[in-house]
Amino acid sequence: MAGEASGLTRTMMYNRVETSLPNLPAQIEFCRRAEESGIDSLLTDFGFSKPDSIVLTAALGMATEKIKFIVAYRSGLLGPTIFVQQLNTLSALIKGRFSLNIVAGHSPEEQRYYGDFLSHDERYARTEEFLSICHALWKRNGDVTFIGKYYQVENARLNIPFISSDRTFPEIFIGGSSPPAEKLAINQGTCWMRIADAPARVRAVIQPALAAGIEVGMRMAIVARPSREEAVRAAYLLLESLNVKSSDAQGECEFVKKSDSISIKATYGLETEWLTPYLWTGAVRHLGAPAIALVGSPEEIASAIMEYREVGITQFIFSGWPKLDEMIYFGQEILPLIRKKEMKLERQPG
Amino acid sequence: MSNRDKPLRFHWSLSRVGDNLRASRPIGEHKGLLSFEAQVDFCRRAEECEIQSVLMAFGFTRPDPFVLSMALGMKTSKLKFMVAVRSGVIAPTLFVQQINTISALTNGRVCVNIVTGHIPAELGYYGDFLTHDERYARTDEFLSICRAFWSREGPVNFNGKYYRVEDGRVNTPFVSDEATAPEIYLGGNSQLADEMAIKHADCSWRFPDEPEKLRPHIQPMIDHGKEVGLLVSIIARPTRAEAVRAADTLLQTVGVKSKEFQKEFQRTCDSVGVKRNFQLAESNESEWLTPYLWTGAIPYLGAPAIALVGSSEDVAAAILGYKEIGISQFLFMGWPDLEEMDRFSKEVLPLIRRHEQGARSETQSDRMRKIS
Repeated sequence: MAGEASGLTRTMMYNRVETSLPNLPAQIEFCRRAEESGIDSLLTDFGFSKPDSIVLTAALGMATEKIKFIVAYRSGLLGPTIFVQQLNTLSALIKGRFSLNIVAGHSPEEQRYYGDFLSHDERYARTEEFLSICHALWKRNGDVTFIGKYYQVENARLNIPFISSDRTFPEIFIGGSSPPAEKLAINQGTCWMRIADAPARVRAVIQPALAAGIEVGMRMAIVARPSREEAVRAAYLLLESLNVKSSDAQGECEFVKKSDSISIKATYGLETEWLTPYLWTGAVRHLGAPAIALVGSPEEIASAIMEYREVGITQFIFSGWPKLDEMIYFGQEILPLIRKKEMKLERQPG
Repeated sequence: MSNRDKPLRFHWSLSRVGDNLRASRPIGEHKGLLSFEAQVDFCRRAEECEIQSVLMAFGFTRPDPFVLSMALGMKTSKLKFMVAVRSGVIAPTLFVQQINTISALTNGRVCVNIVTGHIPAELGYYGDFLTHDERYARTDEFLSICRAFWSREGPVNFNGKYYRVEDGRVNTPFVSDEATAPEIYLGGNSQLADEMAIKHADCSWRFPDEPEKLRPHIQPMIDHGKEVGLLVSIIARPTRAEAVRAADTLLQTVGVKSKEFQKEFQRTCDSVGVKRNFQLAESNESEWLTPYLWTGAIPYLGAPAIALVGSSEDVAAAILGYKEIGISQFLFMGWPDLEEMDRFSKEVLPLIRRHEQGARSETQSDRMRKIS
């Protein structure tokens, strides 16, 4: 369940000059509700318009007991050694309750704010080196020396280890749908996190990743209501409530044009609004690629999720509008159906 | 009001809380993970002891200071965290974003200690292969960019030798009731460190020396409107004899073996201040630079072990002596830190505050006389 601000179009996010202040009590409350709703972890996004995701996770982790966090970060912001040091420190303080979502970045403009001037493919090559060094440090098998194109470290060691009851390094989600993202996920990740698509199309695309022994996850939104009609109505009301001005839609077009993310461009280019009876792309133009949404009744959405499970998807990062209500509804109405279906599958092996 | 009229400000180092004699063992054996409970306990006591901030050191043997500060910030309400950072490990934009996030979540209880690094081999762990002087040049660019972000005068553009930022923006501002940017401390005892402090910092940390020897070094800084603070250990006891005995006991506890580790450490170090302190400890006939400034622990526990030793009155007088020449802040360490901080706040600090109040009312009555 993504923790980023919802209900704002991306153009509004980018053009906002106002300040971005974390509302800690509200976020802690959201974390507690997520714990109650059976959510495994919450995504803390990275970007110039947000608080730093590592520091925010430290604060939220101190105030919670069970919920995990998916810390989004990019290479090109800090050296791999201090990155591992920050994460190992975080793990020691919150008992390893986080995974990583490593993204390559999708806005060259924003990357330059941080002094990152590399092209799309070069960023993946750099991230590959970055994560190689991180893995070497997490192995704790002697000093780490690495001489790459983007990073050099000599005899690196850290006295603080990664602390967790069941892992020696965090789970690593790799976001992105391009071939370099897939390669990076297979080489360095534990899960390839894709923007949602129809299950039939997903099946073939994810075979190499599954064969390589990593998981595949989907990032998408949920609009669930008691009946399909109510859900569809809610979806269209959402578009209206965004009060989408033509200038905003224009702005989103501009954003997509400037973006060098393959998945954002692909999602934007989709021709039909309904990819399957339950997979809706109507909000993508205004809220970005992760707004591709499952729309329907609890039973329909549970079945749709099981279809993804059938093709090999094992993790989902959801968002909703408003995200708290949608998450609570998911925990109460959809998750029990999924667990029931899963138990049935277990009882009928093969 | 000049610094001399303001009450002195006191800080303590958290770097050894939970592992007090770590400097007496080889650096590879230092625990990266110290007791968080002990640190929380120390921070809460520091709040009661009128300690303004705790130093959160940076290095490969330690936890990360940003993350640890945030965690401790969640457990405290008044104390500030002085986060140490080196340029070259993190992009300035991200650094500002991390500091601003801590400020937003702790209501401004964060300040910055810029260090340049003093062990070239360790810098290599972080992918930093620049020389001492180049590191200062890079830090200069780093702080220029940070200052530009904190001034919030629009997107930041910078095209330097080490950093390039284009239209840089960070939407989370520095949040504080007192300031629009964190206070910036800068550690270092070289000429370059002085120049950097004058250009970018609010306060420069130095190791102590005899007040008269310090005066010419700190005067330029003070003339430029900057503060100067001393990084010094402290052993205060009811009487001078007890304090000297405590100092002797300390050396017996750590043992001569620690001298070998310190020699080795010093060999790998390119810090002007660290080398100078070892020279002071080795070359002087006496271990006492003044009746209260003791270099005896330096060969055993490293450069920051240069210590003020004496009765509460002696130590208060020594601190006020430094105030006389323009020193306005102190960063202390002790063995053990918690007990020493407690004694400082109960026995030494009241003497200092009484003297400061006396001095202030004197100046006030002087002024009154002049007016009438």
